[in-house]
Amino acid sequence: MSRAGSTHSAEGRLSQLVTVLAFALPVIFVLVPLAIFLVYSFFGVDQGTIVYAPTLSNYVRFFTDPIFLPVFWNTIVLCVSVAVICILLAYPAAYFLTTLKGRWRYALLMLLLVPLLMSYVIKIYAIRSILGLNGFLNKALVALGILDQPSTLFVFNMNAILLTLSLLLIPFAILPIFLSLERIPQTLLRASDDLGASSLQTFLRITLPLSLPGVASAASFVFVLAIGDFLTPQMVGGISGFTFGRILYSQFGTAYNWPFGAALSVALAIVVICAILVGERFGRSRGTSV
Amino acid sequence: MNQNIDLLTLRSVSKSYGTVPVLHDIDLSIRDGEFLTVLGPSGSGKTTVLRLIGGLEPLTAGEIRLDGQDISRMPINKRPFNTVFQDYALFPHMTVSGNVGYGLSVRHIKRKEIASRVSQALELVQLGRFAERFPAQLSGGQRQRVALARALICQPRLILLDEPLAALDLELRRQMQEFLKSIQREIKTTFLFVTHDQEEAIGMADRICVMQAGHIRQLGTPHELYYKPNCEFVARFFGENNLVAGKLGPVQGEQRPIETALGRLVCSICDQPHLKTAPDGVSAFAAFRPEALHLADAKDGANRFSGTITDLAFAGSSTVATIMAGANDAAQRLRLRMPSRIDGSALKSGEMVSLCFAPHEGHLVLA
Repeated sequence: MSRAGSTHSAEGRLSQLVTVLAFALPVIFVLVPLAIFLVYSFFGVDQGTIVYAPTLSNYVRFFTDPIFLPVFWNTIVLCVSVAVICILLAYPAAYFLTTLKGRWRYALLMLLLVPLLMSYVIKIYAIRSILGLNGFLNKALVALGILDQPSTLFVFNMNAILLTLSLLLIPFAILPIFLSLERIPQTLLRASDDLGASSLQTFLRITLPLSLPGVASAASFVFVLAIGDFLTPQMVGGISGFTFGRILYSQFGTAYNWPFGAALSVALAIVVICAILVGERFGRSRGTSV
Repeated sequence: MNQNIDLLTLRSVSKSYGTVPVLHDIDLSIRDGEFLTVLGPSGSGKTTVLRLIGGLEPLTAGEIRLDGQDISRMPINKRPFNTVFQDYALFPHMTVSGNVGYGLSVRHIKRKEIASRVSQALELVQLGRFAERFPAQLSGGQRQRVALARALICQPRLILLDEPLAALDLELRRQMQEFLKSIQREIKTTFLFVTHDQEEAIGMADRICVMQAGHIRQLGTPHELYYKPNCEFVARFFGENNLVAGKLGPVQGEQRPIETALGRLVCSICDQPHLKTAPDGVSAFAAFRPEALHLADAKDGANRFSGTITDLAFAGSSTVATIMAGANDAAQRLRLRMPSRIDGSALKSGEMVSLCFAPHEGHLVLA
């Protein structure tokens, strides 16, 4: 009896510990750093050293300096474009996956997700060599007679960033769309057929609306990952491909202005949080679904 | 609408999944305007019959004819049938009226007409007030009625119902049975209703098709199935029954004796030619319903035997006695059902009683 009681209380302590950790870890590793950033964004810098006196100068600079807002806006447009491209490419792929049977479906899904296991930097290098002036894409386009000579359209500029980010992030779009498509009960599709709908009508009126939550999650995933990325623009963006992530990076690196970097981070974080909230709002299947 | 005209005919229909056969050579005619119930235990192939007719699955062999035309290869969305699915399969992102009007809107019917037909259909199933609700905001019985309205709005030739009441509780199920039956009478559409619940089948069907192991065992009115089962399976499956094995004796007019462990039992073979022509000495069962069995009194001559009451169960309006009858080494467990009495049963557990049933209330089934 007493032994049983002691194991019981040991188990109880363990579960208490797990509960505490479950709350403490996100607080320590996510919320506290965010709070520190927020606090730093109100400090200033004087000749490379941080001045611990509250000021709004960082935010004033962000909104008044003609450099930052346009880059900020362009970056948002870029990342929305990446999200749109990823969705357009991922949806057919995910849809195709759900039409496969049993083993094939998951085997192919795994293949599509394999790139996630590879190093990010290596993937960027690989894509960079494809996109270069003498890269595979240009050579292929010339060989096919589509171009007379190699194009600079996608060499070290915004377009290169767009293509690279899209390629890198497609797996993150396929997965949520696939999951939401797979969750649609087959009997709903059969019921639609049974009521006289053509395959196209069934797709447009049943499958597509019921998979929109997955599309919303996918879009917010891709957007958030794209907007936080500074490595890809750094490596394939050249001089013209200047994104907000790169500015941010430079504030912590070369400029050594942590408080201003923190203020820019806060601006970015607000956009990211909005994107996540929007994704969450539409990503939830309607409260009315069964 | 003529109940004597065949609407739909299945001819030697077979279905296999891979190498596993689920339907063997089924022949079935559905009459125009009838309420036909396909009844069978799970795994009997009853749902498969419905899915083949609805076009949800292709036939392996045979053909399905609608008004004499072969529709075996007709795609599901072209068949003039609609299905009420077991889990209702309502579209969660559409309101009740969106669901009900779906079959019309995919046919590009004008909005105005859709709206008026939807409200008519919703009136019919008494859901007028719920038009703008979503399926998740409805109870099981209401969803059921939405599914029904959605199926009948396209005025199909045949409505297929796949155990639609299985998920409802008993009281609601009773209500829905009556409701379905009354709607069927009102719109005069042919209903094909699949169920494993024989009480449900008796209560609603004009005719019942009993299936087992991929075969149709018997097709007939509930009355025919109850009183003239043509095989041991139907006799046992359909309602409570007492079956006593034995060997057939020589035909005596409209009756035939069978030699059993309880002695010679005489049963009716009225209108069952196969029982008349069966040779003497063939194995068969004497079958008699619990309510046909009663305590023998002095004037009862035929089908008389004795037994010991082992259990008495009060079931409200009736009381059921379990009886061990016959010699110890070949004792038969029988059931006797009689009206309950306010002053308690006339029977006592452990009592030895003399029992009998009238020859015209007994029937024979070949083993």
